[in-house]
Amino acid sequence: MTDVLNSELLKLRSVRSTAYLLLAIAVMLAVGVLVSYLMTADWDVAPPERQRQFDSADPTVPLLPFAQFCLGVLGALAITGEHGSGMIRPVLVGVPRRGKLLAAKAVVVAAASLLVGAATNLLAYAAGELITGDRPKPISAYDSFGEAVPTLLANTASLVLVALVGLGLGFVIRSTAGTLVTLCGLLFVLPVVSMMLPRTWGEPLYSVMLPVLPGELVGDGGLPLSPTGAGLVMVAYAVVALGAGAVAFTRRDA
Amino acid sequence: MIETRRLTKRYGDTRAVDGLTTKVEPGHVTGFLGPNGAGKSTTMRMVLGLDRPTDGEALVNGRRYADLSRPAHEVGALLDAGAAHGGRTARNHLRVLARANGIGDRRVAEVLELVGLAGAANRRVGALSLGMRQRLGVAAALLGDPGVLLFDEPVNGLDPEGIRWIRHFMRDLAAEGRTVLVSSHLMSEMALTADRVIVIGRGRLVLEASVKELRARFQEDVLVRSPERGELGRVLEEAGASVATEDGALLVRGLGAADIADLAANRRLPVHELTPRSASLEDAYLRLTDDSVEYRAKETAR
Repeated sequence: MTDVLNSELLKLRSVRSTAYLLLAIAVMLAVGVLVSYLMTADWDVAPPERQRQFDSADPTVPLLPFAQFCLGVLGALAITGEHGSGMIRPVLVGVPRRGKLLAAKAVVVAAASLLVGAATNLLAYAAGELITGDRPKPISAYDSFGEAVPTLLANTASLVLVALVGLGLGFVIRSTAGTLVTLCGLLFVLPVVSMMLPRTWGEPLYSVMLPVLPGELVGDGGLPLSPTGAGLVMVAYAVVALGAGAVAFTRRDA
Repeated sequence: MIETRRLTKRYGDTRAVDGLTTKVEPGHVTGFLGPNGAGKSTTMRMVLGLDRPTDGEALVNGRRYADLSRPAHEVGALLDAGAAHGGRTARNHLRVLARANGIGDRRVAEVLELVGLAGAANRRVGALSLGMRQRLGVAAALLGDPGVLLFDEPVNGLDPEGIRWIRHFMRDLAAEGRTVLVSSHLMSEMALTADRVIVIGRGRLVLEASVKELRARFQEDVLVRSPERGELGRVLEEAGASVATEDGALLVRGLGAADIADLAANRRLPVHELTPRSASLEDAYLRLTDDSVEYRAKETAR
């Protein structure tokens, strides 16, 4: 297993797409920081009654959906890139046990997105706090680091989850384009659709959407699912995506 | 050693491989021949565990491929040369495959040297020519120094120098006692490379023989026309040839055209035509697989 993990890690490091995705996340982090800075500058000159209507100047807000997509792509490419190039055949000739290969890919994708996700969230938090300084809420997102920790963890968890969902979808769909379209549907289209449906179906559907889950996981007011419920739904996403991927991967001819 | 037992692969109603039972022994190059679509690649893919047989089984060194724990040390394969991520360098492509079987970077450098790609090790696979990718595929197959090697159409895309190189290379590997299975749709290529051939058509075994046996079986004959046909026929048979009659001509086997001419001259028998007819291995192969060609171009004048 260590051999296969080593190989998967080298695969991830030795393609340019990984560097491009990290660069894209870094650029979006910079954009988020810029937005926070402009908001704070705006807040400083606003009259007090308008100041209270401000949202938090938190770089995570524009960053998180984008980072979710990027890491979803990272997960997807770990397998669709091999199907697309034919690389999957020499790889499977070297590692005929497909469950082992899938497990190694899942571990490497999860570890990489955990590292990237945690770093991104910490940087975004630190930048936000630097910018808002000792200004009060709501322009400052948090009063202390301790208050931020649950949200940072939940956001990081959601990044790892989306990466694994991307990987699982990639195992099922095989094609890069098809997997990315499906991923976009799950991240960006379905949440909007669920808000347009009648409340009775729309609300339960909205409550289990990938971008909504991290907020529910920390018990944000106004969201329907409890933290425990959100946690279970997140686990279910990972299990279903990787399970379906495993079934497809082990049954089909390569 | 590679063995298949009643190996079958069906896609819907199509039988790509149909009850194929064969054995590939170590120590010589075995050619795996058949027209396009005969099931050669599908068979190799089943041997390597990439495709699941509908029925029957394929064994490598007596075991199913999926049961090998570090298969690169036992089996090496060159399937299609394009099968590599175009964005990786040649060296990284090999390192990725090597690591999965616990093979170090030193061996990667060795095989790059062995196939003549050391100078291109840091070029991206996408920037390599087809011939260089073919060499890269051979390098990947050799990583674990395996005793069993499968090459699917290895000469495709190689220049004449590359073809010579791979021909000698495969013969050397076999001479070291390895099992070497090479697929091709060209008999002429196999006549130069292989010691034994397995010919399949429409997924079925057509013939399994040594190249020598195949040559003997489809021996050349000489067409002789003579007004003294009966007399000449007797003379030739006395000289040890076998003689058949067809369309008023003699078909002579076992004697060359020069011997026939000399015999006829000695007996002062007139000869009107003397045509050596070469049933080359290519013809033999075409005759063998004629009714199993799946996709045929409209017949043009031969």
